[in-house]
Amino acid sequence: MQLKLWILSGTAIALWLAPLTALDKKVGWHKSIQGLSLGAAIACAVSAGNIARKLADEAEIETIKTRAITADVVDEIAVSAYVSQQQRQQEAEAILNPVEHLERALALPDAEVERSELITQKQLAEPEAERSENDEERRAERALELKAKGWGKAKIILEVWGVSKGGSQKYKAAEAEYRRLTREP
Amino acid sequence: MRAMYLANYFVAGCIASSFLGWVASLHPMAARAITFLAAAAFILWGLCWLLDFSISNWLKISVNNLQALLLAGLASIAIGAGVFLCS
Repeated sequence: MQLKLWILSGTAIALWLAPLTALDKKVGWHKSIQGLSLGAAIACAVSAGNIARKLADEAEIETIKTRAITADVVDEIAVSAYVSQQQRQQEAEAILNPVEHLERALALPDAEVERSELITQKQLAEPEAERSENDEERRAERALELKAKGWGKAKIILEVWGVSKGGSQKYKAAEAEYRRLTREP
Repeated sequence: MRAMYLANYFVAGCIASSFLGWVASLHPMAARAITFLAAAAFILWGLCWLLDFSISNWLKISVNNLQALLLAGLASIAIGAGVFLCS
């Protein structure tokens, strides 16, 4: 089609210019040839123009098609990128929120939760009791030691319990404990 | 390709004006008819150039396109006539 177009264009120009320059207008048959060649040149030029217009329209349609395909591909890539980003975000949120993750993983019923809370409280209370027992033993040892040295009750209470003599509740409690530990009446 | 088809139509216009010149050289009456035709075309061209906005609305094309069409037509006629007269 392209070749035909170029040949027709070239022929039109040749048929237009060649007879006008090469042939004599005063000779009858030269003049007739000039007229014929001009008519043929017009036909060739118009045919070439029509072919070129057809090709131009086809090229335009191809361009539109290519643009539409490119737009589709770009849209598809954008959608897939958006979806994968959403997935990544959800995964990241699941990783960064361990409490929710744990709750979901365990999904304990209420009774089990209460039981586990009781166990935890017991476990927390056990070392506290042990610690108070140890403190008591230590205070008893220290009080007996000071008593053996000949310290008075008020001074021992002040040294071991940190409470000065008086009618305060703390002193009374300390005094009671002192008596219990030293087995004083 | 668009330029190619416009160029071909332009060449066709040039050849057509040369052909009209050839027709005009055949007989004095033909020359007079062609002269009358050329004068009418020139008046029409001038009116189109002056009333470009109205004509562009009527033809439903832009003013720029109309002006380009008019100038291309004038150029093709001038080139075709020039080629015929100088050969």
